[in-house]
Amino acid sequence: MKKKQKIALTVSAVIALALGVVPAAGAMHIMEGYLPVAYCIAWGVICIPFLVAGWFSIKKTLTGHRKSITILAMTGAFIFVLSSLKIPSVTGSCSHMTGTGLGAILFGATAVSILGIIVLIFQAILLAHGGLTTLGANTFSMAIAGPLVSLGIYKLSKVLKINKHVGIFLAAALGDLFTYCVTSVQLALAYPSAQGGVATSAVKFLAVFAPTQVPLAVIEGLLTVVIIFGLETYAKNELTEIGFLKVG
Amino acid sequence: MGKFIVLAALLLLPVLIFTIVRRTGRKHPAGHEHGPAHTHRHIGHKHGGMLSIDYFAYSSKIRGWNPAFKVVLSVLTIVLCIALDNVYVSAVVIVSMAYLVIAAGGLPPRDYLSVLTIPLTFILISILAIVVDFSAGPVGQWHVHIGFGYLYTTAPMLKKGVFLMLKILAAVSALQLMILTTPSSEIISVLRKARVPGILVDLMNLIYRFIFILMDVFARMKNAAESRLGYRDFKTSCYTFGSVASNLLILSLKKAGAYYDAMEARCYDGELLFLEEEKKADIKVVIPAAAFVLYLLLLWYLTRQAV
Repeated sequence: MKKKQKIALTVSAVIALALGVVPAAGAMHIMEGYLPVAYCIAWGVICIPFLVAGWFSIKKTLTGHRKSITILAMTGAFIFVLSSLKIPSVTGSCSHMTGTGLGAILFGATAVSILGIIVLIFQAILLAHGGLTTLGANTFSMAIAGPLVSLGIYKLSKVLKINKHVGIFLAAALGDLFTYCVTSVQLALAYPSAQGGVATSAVKFLAVFAPTQVPLAVIEGLLTVVIIFGLETYAKNELTEIGFLKVG
Repeated sequence: MGKFIVLAALLLLPVLIFTIVRRTGRKHPAGHEHGPAHTHRHIGHKHGGMLSIDYFAYSSKIRGWNPAFKVVLSVLTIVLCIALDNVYVSAVVIVSMAYLVIAAGGLPPRDYLSVLTIPLTFILISILAIVVDFSAGPVGQWHVHIGFGYLYTTAPMLKKGVFLMLKILAAVSALQLMILTTPSSEIISVLRKARVPGILVDLMNLIYRFIFILMDVFARMKNAAESRLGYRDFKTSCYTFGSVASNLLILSLKKAGAYYDAMEARCYDGELLFLEEEKKADIKVVIPAAAFVLYLLLLWYLTRQAV
C-alpha cells in the first residue's frame, strides 16, 4: 500500500471510531408505507424524465451492439451485489455501500438511472430493503441525484486538475452524502415539524441519521478509491471497453 | 381507544427488539435445521452465495397460487394501508398477512419475524425524528433542556409516531406476502404480462441470474482472502474488500462476454423467453381475497371518525 493510501485509511478509521457506527446501517432506503400517497406519486413523476433519458440511451447502445446487453446486466448485478455486501467497519456491525458513485463514474449517469431502478426493485424483493410505493423517492435520491452529483464532482475535479484519486474519493463520498441529504429532505417534506415546518424537520432527520451516514460516506469514498486502484492495475482493457479510461 | 393502541404497540416493541437480539446473538442455532444451506441467521445477507428471502419464496407452500394474483393482492393491500391511513386497517393487515404467510405458506414464525424486523432500525430512527421536536422555549408535555434550546414531545406526537410505525409495519407485511411466497422470476413474468417494455424485463431476468453467479464468486474470493488473514484488522479488511470488489467487476465483465456467446449459440435473437409453469387463479382463493379487500374498506368506513 502506498503512503497516501495508508494515511487516508488511518484518518477514516479515526473518524469512524469517533462517530461510532450503529448496527445495521444500510443505505438510507425509505421503507414501504412511510410516504403518503401524494408523495409516492410526486417523486415517481419527477423520476420519469431521467428514466426516459436513460431508457433511450440504453436502447441506442443496444441497437448499436446487441452484445452489450450482458455487460449492462452484469453491471446491474455488480451494483446489487456490491450494495448487499457487508463492508468492513471498526465496531463489527454491519453496513453496506451504495455503489452508485462507482457506477456513475464507470458507466455514466444515464445508464445508472435505469440500472438503479432495477437494482432498487431487487433490493425490495430479495432483501426487503426499500419498497414498491417508495420506489420513486428512492430512485430519485439513489439512482438519479447521488450519481449526478458524483459524476459532476468527478468531472469538475478533472477540470481543476485535482489528483485523480482524491477526485474519485470526493465524488463517491459527496455523492453518498448528497443522497442522504436528499432522503432527509424527502422525509421532511412528507412529515413537516408542527412548529418549524419543513426546514426544522429536515434538520431533525439530518441529525438522527448523521451518526450512521457520515462515517458510511467516508468509508464508501475510500473503498471506491481502492476499487478503482485495483481496476486500473488489472483491467485496463475492460475499462477502455466501458469508456472509463478513454475519457480520463 | 387511542391510548390502548399506543400501549399495545409499546408492548409489541420489546418483542421485535428481542427477535433482533436473538438473530444477531445466535449465529449457529442448535436443534433447528432448515436444510443444509440455511444455518446462518443473517437474513437478507448472503450466506455462501444465496439469499434467504429467495429461499423462503421457493419453499413456500402457496407458491402454487397464481403469481399475478399474489402481486395484485399485495400491491392493493399496500396502497390501501397508505391511502386509508387508519390504525385499525393497519392492525388487521399485520395480523392477516402474518397468518397467510405463516399458516398458509408454512414459513416458520421466527423467520417471518426476522424478515419483518430488517427495516426496524430505519423505522425507529425515523420515528424518533417525528416524535421529538425542538424549540427555544419550554413547551410540550415533556421537555429536556439541551443547552441552546429544548427537546420536547407531546402525547399527540407520540400517538402519531406509533400509528405511523404500525402503518409501516402493515405495508411491509403486505410486501412480505409477495416476496416471501413468490419467486423473483415469477414476479418478473408478471411484469412482462403487465406490458413493461421487453428490454427492461430481459435486463431484469439477466440481472437476477447474474446476481447469484456473482454472489457465488464473491463468497469464494472472500474465503480465499479470509484464510490468508485478509480481514485481520480494519485497515487490511478495507484494502481486501476493495481488491475483491474490483476483481469481482473484472471477472463479471469477462463472464459477460462468455454468456453472450452462450446465448448466441442457443439462437438468441434479441428476446429472452423462459418456460413458465401454468398456474391458474383459483376461484376459492380469489373470492376470500376480494372479501378481505372489501372488509378493509368497510373497516375504514366504520372507524374513520374513531381515531
